[in-house]
Amino acid sequence: MSGFFGPLDPGGRVPPRQQTRVATFLICAHGALARQFAFSLPTKLESAWQTELNAQLYRETEIISLLLRATSWVPDLAVGYMAAAWETAWLPAPIEGISDRTLAAATGLATLAHAVHAGIRPAALLPVEANADDPFVMALRRIEFESSRLLQAQIVFLKGVELAPFRDTVSAALERRHAEIGKLWAEALESVGITIHRAE
Amino acid sequence: MPFLRHGSYRIRYELDGPANAPAYVLVNGLTQYAELWAAYRDALVARRFRVATFDLLGQGTSDKPALFISQNDQVAALALLIGELGDGPVFLSGISFGGLIALRYAITHGKRLSGLVPMSCFAELSPQLLLLGNAMRTGLILGGTSYLQDLLLPMNLSDQWLKPLLDKLDSVKRQGWLVNDVYALQNLMESFLDFEPLTPQLASIAVPTMILNGEFDFLTPRALHETLRVHIPNSSLVIIPRAYHAFTLEKPALTADLLARFAEDVLAGRWHGNKAVWIAPEEAGGVLEPFPPGYDHLRAIPTPRPTS
Repeated sequence: MSGFFGPLDPGGRVPPRQQTRVATFLICAHGALARQFAFSLPTKLESAWQTELNAQLYRETEIISLLLRATSWVPDLAVGYMAAAWETAWLPAPIEGISDRTLAAATGLATLAHAVHAGIRPAALLPVEANADDPFVMALRRIEFESSRLLQAQIVFLKGVELAPFRDTVSAALERRHAEIGKLWAEALESVGITIHRAE
Repeated sequence: MPFLRHGSYRIRYELDGPANAPAYVLVNGLTQYAELWAAYRDALVARRFRVATFDLLGQGTSDKPALFISQNDQVAALALLIGELGDGPVFLSGISFGGLIALRYAITHGKRLSGLVPMSCFAELSPQLLLLGNAMRTGLILGGTSYLQDLLLPMNLSDQWLKPLLDKLDSVKRQGWLVNDVYALQNLMESFLDFEPLTPQLASIAVPTMILNGEFDFLTPRALHETLRVHIPNSSLVIIPRAYHAFTLEKPALTADLLARFAEDVLAGRWHGNKAVWIAPEEAGGVLEPFPPGYDHLRAIPTPRPTS
């Protein structure tokens, strides 16, 4: 077990089986976010902040498109079973303790997005020898960078005035989301020989 | 790898050196991690100290609270660590953000300490420091950890240190980039959003205190250390020649020697702070010289001190 992708091929490329498993996980996670942002996005924007929803939707879509094209896919029988488990983990989950149902649902989505954007760092799995010109390597770096930018909307919302009365509730829900997503991510990586440190 | 538990969070720490020896506790700067003290562990253990290092909440392999990290929680984590050290003498040192946490600990738990060494430190946010902090936070948000590192390296380290590493900076940055996450660093930075100056409480620090400040520290310049010197009764200010903010990385042998000498002097009853100003030697083991009398140590050019 290593904390990084590998062994790389002589061209510095990540093994296709690892690419397939990791790309599938990322597509599932960002796909779930894209779907939920799409459902939240009104046809006609009514508030300035909704422009961010639009941005999040299309950035998530871009990430999925990028992975579909940059990954060296190989048949992976186990991934179907794993993906089913992943999909149940990011079903919409309104935050209990917030009586306003719209706000509770939005907070639930924000905690999922925070956990994915902050807690999943695919570029940190790349060893120094990874080929910087390889599309999968570049895609992971781009996804991690874009995730940290997308994350800012979740931070602003979750730390914002609207949720200030629910600070402890929100913090607890967010920690749970991080733990859930982190566990799934770690298990997906362990299934292809990669071990990462994660909080227990 | 041992962990302490603070509420639901785990704090990774390490103890080295003889268990019955006087202890040094070293507190990381904001973007740092415990392994960066490795040279200090070796040097201080060789001088018969026990050395305690740890990752603050939000750093390295300690837990990273997802949304908020309060400085009070950092002090509580530090108190847990010091609680692991038994009843012997404890010397506490921290750099920059870690120095601030050390100051907070000394204000609230000063009786537990035998000595305090704030390095590249501050008790209040001057307009420059506030704006620099805001700019660094924006840099982190827009450009990620790597961009923040790009800002900090030239600001905090000398040309002499940087020049031989110019074509290897990615490897210099890599470990810090790997172990520190954007959201956690942002949470650490945002722990200053409700920051209140510590200056009114500094006078309560009765413990011997050696304040270390790099000659060319741009991020936390002399005036911020002067606040500590003026308000902490049993303190001295020691200026590290040709050093910038991150002199603990650049001059570990000299700095570890100064830490050891300070603790040895305190334990031997030789330490007298007197709010004096000293100039450290260029190399470990050299002689500390008093700042030339009659000149203003807050100026970069030799200017007679104003008479009051």
